[in-house]
Amino acid sequence: MIDRLTAALARSRADYTEIRVERTWSTAVTFRGRRLEAATASEDQGGCARALHAGGGWGVASFTSLGRLEAMVTRAAELSRAVPVDPPIRLADVPPHQADALLDLDGDVRDVPIAEKKRLLEAYNGDTLAVYRDEVSEYWYVNSEGTILHELRPEVTLSGTAVARRNGTIEKGLESIGLRRGWHSVQDKAAGFREVAERAVQLLDAPRVKGGTYPVILDPELAGVFIHEAFGHLSEADFVYENPQAREMMTLGRRFGKPVLNVGDNGAAPGLRGTLPFDDEGTPTRDTPLIKEGILVGRLHSRETAAAMGERPSGNARAISFRHPPIVRMTNTYIAGAPGGGSFEDLIGDVKLGVYACGAFGGQTMLENFSFTAAYGRMIRDGRVAELVKDVVLAGNLFQTLDRIDHIAADCRWNQMGGGCGKAGQYPLAVTEGAPHVRIEEVLVGGDVGAA
Amino acid sequence: MIAPLVELAGRRADGGADALWRRVERTTVAFEWGRLKSAGTTEEAGANLRVRHRGRVGVAGTTAVEGNVLDRALASAELGEELDLAFPVPAPIPPLTTFFDRAAKASLDELIGIGRSLLARLERQGCRVNVAIERETTATRVANSAGGGGEYRGTGFGVSADVWRIAGDDVLVVSDALEGADLPSDEGLTALVAAINARLDHALRVVAPPEGSLPVVFTPAGLSALMLPVTQALSGKAVLQGISPLGAKVGEQVFDPQFSLTDDPLRVGRTASRPLDDECVPSRALCLVERGVVQRFIYDLETAARAKAESTGNGRRGIFGKPVPAYTNIVLGDVGAQHAALLPLGGGLLAGITDGLLVDELIGVGQGNVTGGTFSHPVALAYRIERGEITGRVKDAAVAGNAYELWKRVGSFGNDARWTGSRWAPSVLFEGVSVARR
Repeated sequence: MIDRLTAALARSRADYTEIRVERTWSTAVTFRGRRLEAATASEDQGGCARALHAGGGWGVASFTSLGRLEAMVTRAAELSRAVPVDPPIRLADVPPHQADALLDLDGDVRDVPIAEKKRLLEAYNGDTLAVYRDEVSEYWYVNSEGTILHELRPEVTLSGTAVARRNGTIEKGLESIGLRRGWHSVQDKAAGFREVAERAVQLLDAPRVKGGTYPVILDPELAGVFIHEAFGHLSEADFVYENPQAREMMTLGRRFGKPVLNVGDNGAAPGLRGTLPFDDEGTPTRDTPLIKEGILVGRLHSRETAAAMGERPSGNARAISFRHPPIVRMTNTYIAGAPGGGSFEDLIGDVKLGVYACGAFGGQTMLENFSFTAAYGRMIRDGRVAELVKDVVLAGNLFQTLDRIDHIAADCRWNQMGGGCGKAGQYPLAVTEGAPHVRIEEVLVGGDVGAA
Repeated sequence: MIAPLVELAGRRADGGADALWRRVERTTVAFEWGRLKSAGTTEEAGANLRVRHRGRVGVAGTTAVEGNVLDRALASAELGEELDLAFPVPAPIPPLTTFFDRAAKASLDELIGIGRSLLARLERQGCRVNVAIERETTATRVANSAGGGGEYRGTGFGVSADVWRIAGDDVLVVSDALEGADLPSDEGLTALVAAINARLDHALRVVAPPEGSLPVVFTPAGLSALMLPVTQALSGKAVLQGISPLGAKVGEQVFDPQFSLTDDPLRVGRTASRPLDDECVPSRALCLVERGVVQRFIYDLETAARAKAESTGNGRRGIFGKPVPAYTNIVLGDVGAQHAALLPLGGGLLAGITDGLLVDELIGVGQGNVTGGTFSHPVALAYRIERGEITGRVKDAAVAGNAYELWKRVGSFGNDARWTGSRWAPSVLFEGVSVARR
């Protein structure tokens, strides 16, 4: 394959050309209650050629028929020529790499019969919607600067949605595990499934949280989703590099939070779902500090955005598959634990009335505004965790809320969940979030205030 | 290529087989932050095969022509559940134009030209504009071992634009899109520009949000939070699972008599339209709610087989995974003609409102417990209405309510019905929606 790709590169008449080819084997098993809904095996293959002519824009050609490889490389070059761009696109320098990186398959899922995967999921599943999915992707990347990569990338995800019902009231519990590993890593996961099912039942009797403004403690899962959604996307340089107003808003050196706040993105962190040795432009991944002691110090780059802003490529150009060109994305995004920040108990000790918001059903940001739905919450009364509450929706303004983070515990944890990140039609991208318990002085909870 | 696959599968699977083959060619042009940035093309083809063997159903998909898709489908069937799935026999397929030459033949330069003209018309001091143009041609074939099947070609054309204005920490984004099967008309592009500009003009001034139980107008785009619970509840799948609040309500007056909902796969010029579904069932328009009375649910073959119902022609399948019941074109209210004239924001519903809100976009729609109907969302783009006029954009406000309760007492439908993606709806006024400020 590599020989064929380098031969196609050699024939390209563009000033810069790159080709990615992927072949992915995947299986999926779905249970709805005790009923097996589907057990399928799929095979997907294809490639993407991307080309740049001096003075031209990106020409991109993706395809599922490998027989079209050479024609599509030519097509990408033609498309680049057809879109004149002024000023021209430049790419930041990345030294060429040659690597044959076979990630630890940890029990190659392709060697496990699908019937065994069904048995595994059946054992975990009670009355839930349960999904097991795995894949191994063989990946080739070459570019005209001499980078040649071959990788084998595993991934396995497990999820369970428990639904509890009584008299028209419906409550959910969600368990989700996502790992860039294999079959061995998803054994012994029954406890998490049981726990969410029990919680869904408990939520039936739980009151809705009373809407209002509270001090809120985010558990590591929700804090991770928060930093990804509310801040991470703003640190993607494609949002700022050609937009002077956005650039001003995201000027390095701007204060975003109190000195206790440290945020980063680490595509090289060992063993996580967002981890890969190289991004989809052949740039090595690394740890990129974004906020240091409350001050904005960095952002996430592709080669193009790095060149445009005179900064260093960070290894964040990623594509969900050969169907798309790489764009600036997060990898493993984290709020660092505060050394000496203590434990969860230290965060709630002086909270008279507050909300402990746990887990995430979802989150969305519209730039400076965000909305997050916690899986469940507990009231905090006089420094102690009190009753279970439901419908905990947090909403606010990003800048105000980041600045109101006043206490960060030391207990940072990676949340190895399934699902993924969506941007510009590319979903789901494998990412991980990490955070300790985080306290926000004041957040609006719920939306029922002033209701009729 | 698909007929031999189904025939071969039919010989090895004792309960028959069906398959979908689809080829897509897509051309895209993207303008980022006001300048032409990239052009792309995609060629994709693949097949999805389903077999029924020894009473059990299995599915497999592939884009690899040399792959062993039939073996994998049979292996999937070994684990599959027993299901009395019957593949539809040949039936008359309604005539429907899905392929438009002008869209198929539009050159890359024409696509770029449309983008440039939009950019020029949306240019505005202090703002940055992104524009994307996408043209697609598809070829679809479906067939089954009972002799059912059909084929059609389709075109699709999408134009989207978003205008950004960042002033200090205030981020304003106004976006809109035009989607259809044919090349967009000049009037269509003019309406797109006018719709974006009207929302921008009113957004430049920021005013304090109102608070309390108020009249709220949801624009066709803003209606998503109210439509989603209803469309989820009308899916045969939710009914079968017992999680649909409408599951036992067929024949009952559940909604306001002004509320009618139709799934219409036969609307000419829409990208979701098709003469038959992805499981060989001929298309027909389906009234789901008529004047507030629940009529029926949507089904694909498998959900119908489990529910002891008939497929409604709503089977949709991709290359990978199994078919699912899905909507085509959702039409709210009466099926009217698209308005040619440019209508002011609010669809004529603002006149009688002393103090209220006009909601165009909410944050977090689809999160949480959607099927239950309860929602609570901060506004992404909303305007204050005072004495019948829009007085400015509102930030830091949230709306909350229950979709089922609100649809029971619709204030009024606007005169500005339009397509938002594959949903046709006007603006709708509701009285007594909870509005909170923070």
